[in-house]
Amino acid sequence: MSSSDPRVDELRQRLRSLGYLDAGVDRFLLGSAREARGPVALAGRASLRVGVLGGLLLGPAAAIGVGARLPGLISGVRDALVMSIYLALLFFVAVALSSVALSGISVVLLRGGIFRLKPQATGDTDTARSRPIERLSRAAGFVLTLAALAYLTLWWRNANAGFGWSAPAWTSFALLVAVAISLLLGHAQRVTTLAVLAAAAGRGAALPAITNRSWRGILAGGALAFAGAAMLLVVTTAAESSRAAAPNLAVMSRGLTVKVIAIDGIDSTLVDVRDWAPPLTPGVRFAVGYDNTSDPARTWTTIATGTPPEVHGIHAIEARRVAGLRGVLNPDTSATGRVLQRASDLIRLSRPSIASRNERKVMTFWEVAEAAGLRSAVINWWATWPAAGQRGIVVSDRAVLRLEHGGTLDAEISPSRVYDDLLQRWPGISRTAESVAQRRFGTMDDRATAAVLMRSATLDGIVMAIDQALAEPQRDLDVVYLPGLDIAQHALLAEQSASPSTLTARLEALRTYHAFLRDLVRPSLTPVEHRITMVITAPGRVGSNMAGHVMMIAPSGTQGISDVSDRTALAIDIAPTILNLLGVPISRELQGTVLRAVFAPDPDRFVATYGRPAAEEAPREGKPLDQETIDRLRSLGYIK
Amino acid sequence: MSALPAFFADYQARVTDELHRIVPDRGSAVERAMAYTALAPSKQVRAVLVILCAELCRGNVAQAVPAAAAIELVHAASLILDDLPSMDDAPLRRGRAANHLANGEATAILAAFGLLNLAYGQIARAYEPAMAARMSSRLAEAVGPEGLIGGQALDLEATDHQIGFEMLERIHRGKTGALFVAAATCGALTAGAAAEPIGALVAYAKNLGLAFQIVDDLLDVAGTTADTGKAVRADARKTTFVSFSGVDGARQLAAELCETADRALAPFGRKADRLRELSAFVAARRL
Repeated sequence: MSSSDPRVDELRQRLRSLGYLDAGVDRFLLGSAREARGPVALAGRASLRVGVLGGLLLGPAAAIGVGARLPGLISGVRDALVMSIYLALLFFVAVALSSVALSGISVVLLRGGIFRLKPQATGDTDTARSRPIERLSRAAGFVLTLAALAYLTLWWRNANAGFGWSAPAWTSFALLVAVAISLLLGHAQRVTTLAVLAAAAGRGAALPAITNRSWRGILAGGALAFAGAAMLLVVTTAAESSRAAAPNLAVMSRGLTVKVIAIDGIDSTLVDVRDWAPPLTPGVRFAVGYDNTSDPARTWTTIATGTPPEVHGIHAIEARRVAGLRGVLNPDTSATGRVLQRASDLIRLSRPSIASRNERKVMTFWEVAEAAGLRSAVINWWATWPAAGQRGIVVSDRAVLRLEHGGTLDAEISPSRVYDDLLQRWPGISRTAESVAQRRFGTMDDRATAAVLMRSATLDGIVMAIDQALAEPQRDLDVVYLPGLDIAQHALLAEQSASPSTLTARLEALRTYHAFLRDLVRPSLTPVEHRITMVITAPGRVGSNMAGHVMMIAPSGTQGISDVSDRTALAIDIAPTILNLLGVPISRELQGTVLRAVFAPDPDRFVATYGRPAAEEAPREGKPLDQETIDRLRSLGYIK
Repeated sequence: MSALPAFFADYQARVTDELHRIVPDRGSAVERAMAYTALAPSKQVRAVLVILCAELCRGNVAQAVPAAAAIELVHAASLILDDLPSMDDAPLRRGRAANHLANGEATAILAAFGLLNLAYGQIARAYEPAMAARMSSRLAEAVGPEGLIGGQALDLEATDHQIGFEMLERIHRGKTGALFVAAATCGALTAGAAAEPIGALVAYAKNLGLAFQIVDDLLDVAGTTADTGKAVRADARKTTFVSFSGVDGARQLAAELCETADRALAPFGRKADRLRELSAFVAARRL
């Protein structure tokens, strides 16, 4: 008895029409469609299941691609999983719709006569009569396979670009996973189309057999694809995390401490900070070229890390936090990007967020110094919240707000004893800063300008007062950031419609603020034995195309510091220069170089990497100041 | 004749014990007639199917045994009625004289009804009301006009007539398939299974039931009384699968139905191996 015996073929077909020889193979796909009465309902229900498969398999794969394309969005395994869920939903919809469309087109082709069912005739075998259905379903599966493979190939290109995997083994593995996912989806589509076409052709239609082997194949393929996608997801996040491994940073001290004073908004057409140094003090003076200083978080994180924004991950003050993710989505300045951001804000999928340490992917120079065992303190630098719970002192960019509000810390200051100390001194600090500002600018005729300058002067005064409060015990590295001038400059000059006379008056007012600043920092510029004071300036948001300066002041006779001026440097040169002064090895990952005319770095004093910033945070038990921070930055003109 | 899978013995013993416990044997004629068929040696394929499905759905044997016994009682009742002179007029069953020949026709009819009612009573007593109601409902469907009774009625009509394939399937679905499906469903229900696994087991039982019947037809053509325990060539006046496809074709279809039944078990993986052994036994139940 051959399998093509016409009597057996006919009985087999009749049995199928009576519900036998149907094991419900691919039960997952067709399970919900079992009770469907027509091809449309069947296509709808089965396509939902194909969509589920597509979402499950493509979601994790796409999360890797998105993570590579949008730095800072995925900050860990948890973020990767949440992003996978979002993308799985997206792909669920996309694949389900594609599946319905493919099934629908197949039915139209079958009914339209392009693939006509052969009329039943004596001697026809099942195989012959079901051939059009078989061909159409294979074609539908093939289309989905190709689409998935094309997408996954592009995805791999993105992922590869992001993580730098060029090893043939990885590429082969990724391609294997891509092929497995594509074949699995194609098979699911074939089964769905097969069922839909059988329903459309009527009860008597021959339905090609789906063998036991294909069911095992789909299970094995699915398991392989899922395991592969999951493995890639875990490996990529693990590869990122592994960079956090602490390197051995042996310090070869030069016997120097470093104090960094960062001043934002210095207008080099109004003042030359190089003149602020005490007369006859030797030092190094460089003009610093900046690409664009319109966003202070980006600029000052570039200075702090010695890497460009594409590497350190802080692109702007304002970012978008996606619901469920710890990472943030950096702003997209394109029109489409803005529309998408507004839309996602509207549906509460995303919300405004301020750049924080969590998004920074590179260690700052003070974090490297700490890792090397040096004592450090940083005050008010951008993207320092939440403060890291390490040995050094971090008074983050949210610290002043916390001191104003009081209460329990939410990682604004670390360690907490510093907060306790500052909180005790806070009434005196704030009152003194306000009274100094009042004395300096309160008598100005233009009350509006006076208010702007007083606000800035109070803030800068508070920051310097905190710096003085933390003067003891002495540390290897002290860093302080003064934002007042930039805030004032932006408030007074950003307005395009001001008349020339008003602008002139405001420029004059800013000149007085420059003088205030000089007086504020002057005590710190006095040469101190074994200490190098570095003043870093940037033009701020208004003069974003101007140059800034780096000035190093050292006592006469300090070895290695010669009187050099009129040289140029890049913002990314500053961090390696500071670390070199402190005797810390330089990471080969840093793209800048140690400024010449200071100590030349020892060729043997390089390390491959500093690793990733530590994940630990200071205790976060207090009420978060997220909204208050946004409100404050808005009032200071940083965000709209 | 293919040997029963090894695991059958334990399950058969559990079901037999239960049947001995519930089938009355106090000496009255009707009780003797009930015990005559219900306690006669048999493979108890349907009862074992109940237990296997319960185990597959993470139930336990002890909880499934009452349902298995109930299914076996219904099957025994159907055999007594099938063999009556007004029905198939069969002389032999389970290797000995048919019930009506041993106990008289009237007593045999009463014994059949007695066994049926014993089955429903067994379900009602052994399970929680909600579960008992669901099982009784499935059992009633299997026995009623869509099941055993409907199948037997069509079978009577078809005797000495040439019938179509759909009619033959309808007869077999009623006389054999319905109780296989009920057995699988009741087994899964005793384990509290969800709709999805029950659906898979129904697909298994449906295909297996028809395969079982096709093999029965084959045995009637090519078997012996010693093999089957009943008279052979008794279906000469009836249309069977062999009439449509020939002996080899019927064998092939039975094998394909058993393969299909196995494929329906795919979602259960290796846990369903015993059910696969059962289908292999059914497929190999030949000379």
